[in-house]
Amino acid sequence: MVRYFKNFNYLMFASMLALIAIGTVAIWSAGNARSEAVFHGMWKQTLATAMLGLVVYLALSIADYRKILEYGSVAAYGTALVLLVAVLAFGAKIYGGRRWLWFFQPSELSKLCIIMFVANFGRRFREFGFLGFVLTGIAVGVPLLLILAEPDLGTALTLVPAVLIMMFSLRIWRKGLFVILAVIALCGSAVMAAVYEAEKPGVTEERRAAILKWVPLKAHQVKRVKVFLFPEEDILGAGYNLRQAKISIGSGGFSGKGIGKGETNHLKYLPQAISMNDFIFCVYAEETGFIGSLALLALFGMLVVPGAWTAFTSNDERGEALALGVSMLVFAHVYVNIAMSIGLVPITGLPLPFISSGRTFLLTVMAALGMVQSVATHREVGK
Amino acid sequence: MTSIVSMIVFVLGFIVLGVNLKEVQIDESAGYNYANARQSVRRVQTAAPRGCIYDRNGTLLAGNRKSIGIVLSTTPFQKRTWEATQAEIIAAIDRTGKIVGLENPLSDKAVRRHIRQKLSMPLLVWRDIDEKALARFCEHEQELEGFSLAETEERVYPQGRLASHLIGYVGRAEGDLNAGDVKFNFSDREMRGRSGVEHYYDSFLRGVSGEKNLIVDARGFTQSESTIKVARRGLDLTLNLDAKVQRAVEQELKGCIGACVVMDPRNGEVLAFASAPDYDINEFVPILKSELYDSLAGDRRKPLLNRASGGAYAPGSTFKPITALAGLSMGIPAEAELECIGVYEVGTMKLHCARTWGHGIENLKTALRDSCNPYFCNLGMEAGTNALITTARTMGLGAKTGIDFGVDMAGVVPDDEWKRKQYGQKWYQGDLAQMSIGQSMLLVSPLQMARVAGALGTGYLVTPRIKAGEPVSRTKLPFPAKDLAKVREGMELVVSSGSGKAGGEGVGVKVAGKTGTAEVGKGDTRRKNTWFIAYAPAENPTVAVAMVVEYGVSGGSTTAPKVGAVLRSIFNG
Repeated sequence: MVRYFKNFNYLMFASMLALIAIGTVAIWSAGNARSEAVFHGMWKQTLATAMLGLVVYLALSIADYRKILEYGSVAAYGTALVLLVAVLAFGAKIYGGRRWLWFFQPSELSKLCIIMFVANFGRRFREFGFLGFVLTGIAVGVPLLLILAEPDLGTALTLVPAVLIMMFSLRIWRKGLFVILAVIALCGSAVMAAVYEAEKPGVTEERRAAILKWVPLKAHQVKRVKVFLFPEEDILGAGYNLRQAKISIGSGGFSGKGIGKGETNHLKYLPQAISMNDFIFCVYAEETGFIGSLALLALFGMLVVPGAWTAFTSNDERGEALALGVSMLVFAHVYVNIAMSIGLVPITGLPLPFISSGRTFLLTVMAALGMVQSVATHREVGK
Repeated sequence: MTSIVSMIVFVLGFIVLGVNLKEVQIDESAGYNYANARQSVRRVQTAAPRGCIYDRNGTLLAGNRKSIGIVLSTTPFQKRTWEATQAEIIAAIDRTGKIVGLENPLSDKAVRRHIRQKLSMPLLVWRDIDEKALARFCEHEQELEGFSLAETEERVYPQGRLASHLIGYVGRAEGDLNAGDVKFNFSDREMRGRSGVEHYYDSFLRGVSGEKNLIVDARGFTQSESTIKVARRGLDLTLNLDAKVQRAVEQELKGCIGACVVMDPRNGEVLAFASAPDYDINEFVPILKSELYDSLAGDRRKPLLNRASGGAYAPGSTFKPITALAGLSMGIPAEAELECIGVYEVGTMKLHCARTWGHGIENLKTALRDSCNPYFCNLGMEAGTNALITTARTMGLGAKTGIDFGVDMAGVVPDDEWKRKQYGQKWYQGDLAQMSIGQSMLLVSPLQMARVAGALGTGYLVTPRIKAGEPVSRTKLPFPAKDLAKVREGMELVVSSGSGKAGGEGVGVKVAGKTGTAEVGKGDTRRKNTWFIAYAPAENPTVAVAMVVEYGVSGGSTTAPKVGAVLRSIFNG
């Protein structure tokens, strides 16, 4: 018990509590701006979920993560697969996708399950060299394809860096990983270049169609890439969301307009359907300004850097991989979410951990961080 | 090793985000603030109350009254679709209408237009409601969400029809939203002068409009508003007009078609300025309805025409004092005599005298008294075209008077060049003879003739002034005092023993004047425009009058009694 309190990473815990507090306020403000009364009390539900998450977090931090991985990862992985299939079969269709099963989103939950599975079995896959790489690829690829089928590109994309960093840490066919990274970078650039060629001003309709035939993106995704490449075009149509997001964030200025006083949010210029989820950073940044944005970045930094530190100080490969995977997952969410709000990356549906109102994701992230805390509290001191 | 790299990636990632956020939130913040303001702020021009118009004694001629209207704010009726919003608003208007006891005055189309074009502005449903409706509204105000009372100022003319042509009327300003350097989205359309003094002194009366900002949401519904600049009331205007004199004049013109101008010949102050028939300018408020305008514009008696300064009449015999001056200035003595045999022949043309059997031997004074046509035809012929035209123009005819008013007809003093241009004919001796007795192609306004009457009495031609306190502008007539004295004697005889006796009856001071009867038109429209011009007291004139009445019998019998009544009201009132 003494070891638990001695090794407990208080910085990580404190920053998480602060982020929960910020998230509650942001959801309160974003919810109040909406016409539908049901959203006005959303912050209470979020806070209640966070309380539940806190219990899970503390329980997982006390429990030995090694035992959980050993006995739980297969079950978790299996459950994730079943749920992902179930959501495709029975899920409610909202905004053109099937992501909801009853009251939660299986794809969010599956993120942790996949990380647990890789953390537990990566060690064994490593022994097979290239084949191990393939096996990992299959283990991650199957649920990933199911998630892509929902479609939930954002979730799939954030899993890739998390899994890659774990494979690096577990030394699964390392030299090939560099090749993979290069291929990903190349493919990404090629897609960008192709969309640029197709959408730049003055291109004929036939040529545009001919180029886009080769681009493996859906129409709405092409549109998002186009908005990213040409943000000033069509600001009342496809570019509206990004334009309004930037107006919200930019008009916040240095110190913001005050909590609950965000104009673009309350006047509903910020797209209401996503202001509480994917675009909640805009609500927060408008009200708290650059100061608030920096504070938020600092808090996330105090969450993920200690996570990597936990991996560094862990003397267990599984623990190291788990801590790195979870930290990278959280980082990828934060980075992509904020970057898309200011047009640094194309818009992708992705929540901001602790701040967005998605409760499945909140619980998932808290459980994952609880396990990272468990890695910290269970490390062998003096070795 | 991987952990260290991760930590570096994390820190670098957040630094990249921080740097980019600084760019958006600090460097480009002003631009986004502007974009935010542009999409969410609507600038509204608010109307300024108009200044009042008073007569010289402080009688209110044009003022403002509070007008209570019921307006609807669209925001509480917001529905998911525009159609549903429109239906909701119409239902709410009907509901409220039942409670306050008023019909819904707006068509569905008008409501839709408001939603499309001016959603963020309140919709004025009932304007100018009566006290009963107001009481009902106040009683039920709690239930009438979205409706409120709006107080506006409407123009009111407490003297009714008095001086309607002089005061003019106002209309709602139209579409110059983006005049000046400020761009407005909407405007509480303020009153603009459309005619008369309201028009001429519009910038004086108008005041400075204010400004308020409406904060609108993404759909255009107003969420809040703030006043940026308070509207400043326009300045009050005092006229030289004397409401009592004006009333007396209008009393005399009642039922007639005609006009009358009364002014102070010493300084040009216009004491009365009337044109008949007139109209009630209050009926033009709050908006001039097209039916009313059409009925006024279509009236054969032309009530909208301002005859006082815009009516073009042949002066008839009231021109004779000018012919007299022209003769005197050419050295023809006043004592020169002519025997009137009732007709005067120029070539083949025969000009008849009013007294068909002739006046007998006439000199200048008696000819003025008797208004003898042959005498003045002869005098004009002897003086010559140039002398006659020059004298007429010296008396201010054929040119604008310079009055501070929108309607200032120059009229016509014809000459050879003018006639060639208009009729393609040269100037004949007959034209000269005709002009000598105020016929031919001469056209003057009553305002010009009032000025002539005053100038004959004082020796100074003054510029008429509507607004009080304006500097006096006058020019001395270039005629010797003894010449003027001769003409004045003749004009005094007109009233004491001549054709214009009725013009001086019971006035109490000595009146000098001249009658005139001009025959115009042909066939069915043949009629007589009867004149009387006068100044009084004759020794030291303080009042000059010119009145014309269309379809009269003669200047002496139709118009002189009316002018006499006006003068009595001034000097005995």
